[in-house]
Amino acid sequence: MSPRPQIDHIRRPQLLAAAAEVIAERGVAATRIADVAERAGTSAPGVLYWFDSKDQLLAEALTAAEDRFDESLTGRLEAMGGPGERLRLLIEASAENYDWTLWMELWTRALRDPRMRATRQRLDDRWRGQIAHDVRAGQAAGAFADHGPPERIALILASLLDGLALQATLGDPQVAPAQMRDLALEIVELLLGSELPPLSDQESAREREMLVEGE
Amino acid sequence: MPGDARERILEAACDLIASDGIDDVRIARVATRARASTALVHHYFSTREELLEQALLHSFETAGSERFAEDPDAEQSAARGVARAIEVCLPLPGSQERDWTLWVELWLRAVRDPALRPLAADLYGRYHDWFAGVIAPGLESGEFTSERSADELADLAIALLDGAGVRALIRDPRIDVERARELVAVRLAGELGVEPGSLRISGR
Repeated sequence: MSPRPQIDHIRRPQLLAAAAEVIAERGVAATRIADVAERAGTSAPGVLYWFDSKDQLLAEALTAAEDRFDESLTGRLEAMGGPGERLRLLIEASAENYDWTLWMELWTRALRDPRMRATRQRLDDRWRGQIAHDVRAGQAAGAFADHGPPERIALILASLLDGLALQATLGDPQVAPAQMRDLALEIVELLLGSELPPLSDQESAREREMLVEGE
Repeated sequence: MPGDARERILEAACDLIASDGIDDVRIARVATRARASTALVHHYFSTREELLEQALLHSFETAGSERFAEDPDAEQSAARGVARAIEVCLPLPGSQERDWTLWVELWLRAVRDPALRPLAADLYGRYHDWFAGVIAPGLESGEFTSERSADELADLAIALLDGAGVRALIRDPRIDVERARELVAVRLAGELGVEPGSLRISGR
């Protein structure tokens, strides 16, 4: 049994969500533990009980944010018919979440901090693994042409999405989220030698809603 | 000459941002490295923030004018021009790696600072226009065959270079700079309807 009081098990996710918000707004350097505490409605010692440093807080906040993104996708992915639809959903969901601020924060810190580099690697491997999994399944089922190893296609797609998201985040008017999605879809369809089926009416209504909200 | 001192200060700031990270750069260390007094640094830059931002912009101005300059061999073929463009945009060891590190710092900075954003968007715009200008002659002459416009192809090239380049820069064990070059060249060659080998600078 953990000696920690029960209440802290509820606090931790709240702290991580608060940290993700504050860090995205101000950056790690300008974020004080007290700011995170205030956002989460607790005290600085209440934060420090869980996290030794701001870097640890960033690493865990980002991991938690990615976990939430994954969880929100899992249910929707399971409802999908096949790998083509699943890949399409992964791309559309990336365009929805086109604010890459926390990722940029992680890239910057990964340049100099081995622990942050390891965190970035783990999250990127997971994301690329998910793409590669669906590519492999589609190739095995004969739905996609065998144009190369799934890991390579995942690397191209992940790189492309990051690069496009960067342009969208920095406000290049030519690369709005909808264009980002369309360009990524066209390239991946080329790599798979197959068109990715459109999402069901219910899913596309949801995507349209999210894209409008994001603009 | 006063102009030289300002430039030396900016260069020193760039070196320190690249080696220590922007948050750990101190005016006193920039001054020492630039062989200037802190008073002189403050003469040119009223705040630390201003110095750091000017340093990031300076690095792109310098890198841009050096690398985006006309290639004397460009007339040989448009593919050769694209190959050279890929080459100068990768985080190769040395000055390109330093500039890349500053590039990543600028991305993050620009997202948070509304004042810096138009400047970053302008730099990105120039980067884009330059790349589109390298691709366009090949589309016009028929050396490249693509249904996409030079602008779309430039967006694509830059996205791949940034996405693959940042991974190589951070030492992703599954993609070094060689692999980043190959990934961009193969994908772009497919888009332009040319052999991937034609987008590689021979002898490398």
